[in-house]
Amino acid sequence: MQCKDIEIVLEQEGLEPLPPEAREHLAECRECRSYVADITSLVDAAHKLPSEIAPPERVWISLRAQLEAEGIIRTPADPVAVEKASWWDSMRAFFGNRVMATAMVGILIAAAAVFEIRKDKVGENTSPTQEIVHTVQAPTQALPSSNQTSNQTSNQTSNQTSNQKLTSAPSESSAPAEFAGTAQALNDQEPVATGMLLTSRSPIDASLRDNLKKVNEFIAECEHHLKEHPQDELTREYLSAAYQQKAELLSAIIERARSIN
Amino acid sequence: MCLQMMGIIPAWSRTQLKRSVLPVLGAALFVWSAAPAQAAGTGQRVERKFSVTGRPVVVIHNVANGRIEIKSWKNAEVDVLGTQSSNKIGFDIEQAGDRIDVTANVLDAAAQPLELEANLQLTVPEETELQLKTETGLIYVEQVTGDMKLESYAGDVHLKEVSGYIIVKTTGGSLVCGQCAGKLDFSSISGNAQILQPQLNNVNLMTTTGNILFDGEFVRTGLYSMKSGRGLVEVRFSSNDSFDLKAQTSTGTVDNQAAAFLKPDTHGVKHIYSNLTHGFFGTVGKGLAKVELSSYSGTIRIMRRD
Repeated sequence: MQCKDIEIVLEQEGLEPLPPEAREHLAECRECRSYVADITSLVDAAHKLPSEIAPPERVWISLRAQLEAEGIIRTPADPVAVEKASWWDSMRAFFGNRVMATAMVGILIAAAAVFEIRKDKVGENTSPTQEIVHTVQAPTQALPSSNQTSNQTSNQTSNQTSNQKLTSAPSESSAPAEFAGTAQALNDQEPVATGMLLTSRSPIDASLRDNLKKVNEFIAECEHHLKEHPQDELTREYLSAAYQQKAELLSAIIERARSIN
Repeated sequence: MCLQMMGIIPAWSRTQLKRSVLPVLGAALFVWSAAPAQAAGTGQRVERKFSVTGRPVVVIHNVANGRIEIKSWKNAEVDVLGTQSSNKIGFDIEQAGDRIDVTANVLDAAAQPLELEANLQLTVPEETELQLKTETGLIYVEQVTGDMKLESYAGDVHLKEVSGYIIVKTTGGSLVCGQCAGKLDFSSISGNAQILQPQLNNVNLMTTTGNILFDGEFVRTGLYSMKSGRGLVEVRFSSNDSFDLKAQTSTGTVDNQAAAFLKPDTHGVKHIYSNLTHGFFGTVGKGLAKVELSSYSGTIRIMRRD
C-alpha cells in the first residue's frame, strides 16, 4: 500500500478500523503516521465542540425584522396554540369565539341602529364621499387607528364595522402588523434590559437609558405615522431600522450588565 | 507669656508672619494633597512592543473609561502604551502571530468612575487592521490603512487620513472623519456624523436623531446613502462633481439651496414620486455617482460649496 492509498482509505472508510494493509503501511511510514495523527486530533477536537452554538437574541430579532420588512414572512394575526387543548377547552373556545363574535356583531348592529335613529332625529349631515373613502381604505388597513375606528362606527354599515373591529382586535401593540412579532419580542426583552440599569448611576448607563428612550420615541412616532399612512415606504424603512437599533441596544445593555456583574 | 515678649521673634509682626508663612504652608498643603492623585494617575503605566511580519490585526476592548489613540509609523512593530488611574483596572496584552489583543478589564466592580480611567496609545504599521471597542472616551485613529471596525457607546470617534473599509457603530457618540478614503459605514442612535474632504467611494450613514454633514467630493461611480430619522442631513458639493441625487422625507423639509445647479435626471429614468413623501431627483454634471439623502422628520439641505 502506498501513501496515496492511505488518503483514499481514510476518505472512504474513516479512521477506524483501518484495514490490516493500511496498518502495516503506517507501521513503516512516518509521514503517514503523522498524517493520521493530525486527522485524529482534528476529529477529537471537532467532537469536543458544542453540538449547537445558539446565536444571541439580537440576531433573531434583526433577522425577523428584515424578513418582515421584505415581506418574506408575516406574523399571523391570530397565533394558533401549539399545545393540544382538551376537548372541553376546544368546545369552550369554539363556542366562546362564536358567542363573542355574535355578541359583538349584535352590539354593533344595535349601536348602528341607535345611531341611525339618532341621526334621523338630528338630520342628515353625513357626506356620501366619506363613506366611499372608508370603504376603499378598509381592506388595506390591517390596523386602523382609534380615530378611524370611532369614525367607522358612525359612518359604516354594521357588517363593515364588525369586520374591521375583528382585524384590529388582537394587536395589543401599536406596531404595524408585519412588525408585530418584532415589536413583541423587543417589548418582552426591554424590561429585562432596563431592570439591569435601574440601580446603576454610571454615566454610560445613563447614556444607554437616554438612547433607549430616544429610539422608543422614534419608533412610536413612526408607528403612529404608519397607522395614518400605511403606504409610506420611507417611514417603514425607518421603523425597521429603528427596531434593529433597539434590538442591538437592548443586547448591548444586557451584555454590559453581565460583564460588570 | 508670648514669644515676642521673650525676645525670640522680636522683629516680625503678626502680619509679616501671615504674609510669609501662610503661602508656603498653603503651597505645601496643596502639593501634599495632590501627590497621591498624581501618583495614582501616572504610577500605573504599561508599555509593550511587538514585532510583526505582515499586516497586523489589532484588537482592543476597553471596558474602562478612557481614550484610545492609534497612530502609525514605518516600523514593523506595534507599540502599546497603557496608562491607568488606579490598580482597579488591569491590562491584558498578548500577541498571537500578527494579531495583538489588548483588553482593559475592571478588576473591582465597586470602583468609582474616576478610578476606572484607562488610556491606550498605540503606534502601529501604516497598514494595520483594527477592531476597537470602547464604552466611553474618544477613539482617535490617524494615518492608518486597513479595514477597521470601531464601536463605542458614548465616546466619539475621530478619524484622520484613514482608508479601508471603515465601520463605525456608536450609541451616542459622534463621528468626525477627515480625509478618509475607501468605504464607510456609520450607524448610531443619537450620534452625529461629519465627513470632511473625503475620498470615499461608498458611504452609508444612518443615525436616528443625530445630524449628518458631508462636505466634499463625490467620487465618480461612488454610492452614497445618508439617512437621519430626526436630524439634519446636509450635503455640500462642488461644481466639478458629477452625481444623481435623490432626496426624500416623510414629514420633514427639503432645503435645496442649489436648485440652479441640479438638472432633471439625464439618464432617461422616469422617477415615480410618492404622494406620501416629499423630495426631488436631480443631476449634477453627468450624474456618475449616486447620492441618496433621506430623513423621516428632519431637514435635508443641499448646498454648493464653491
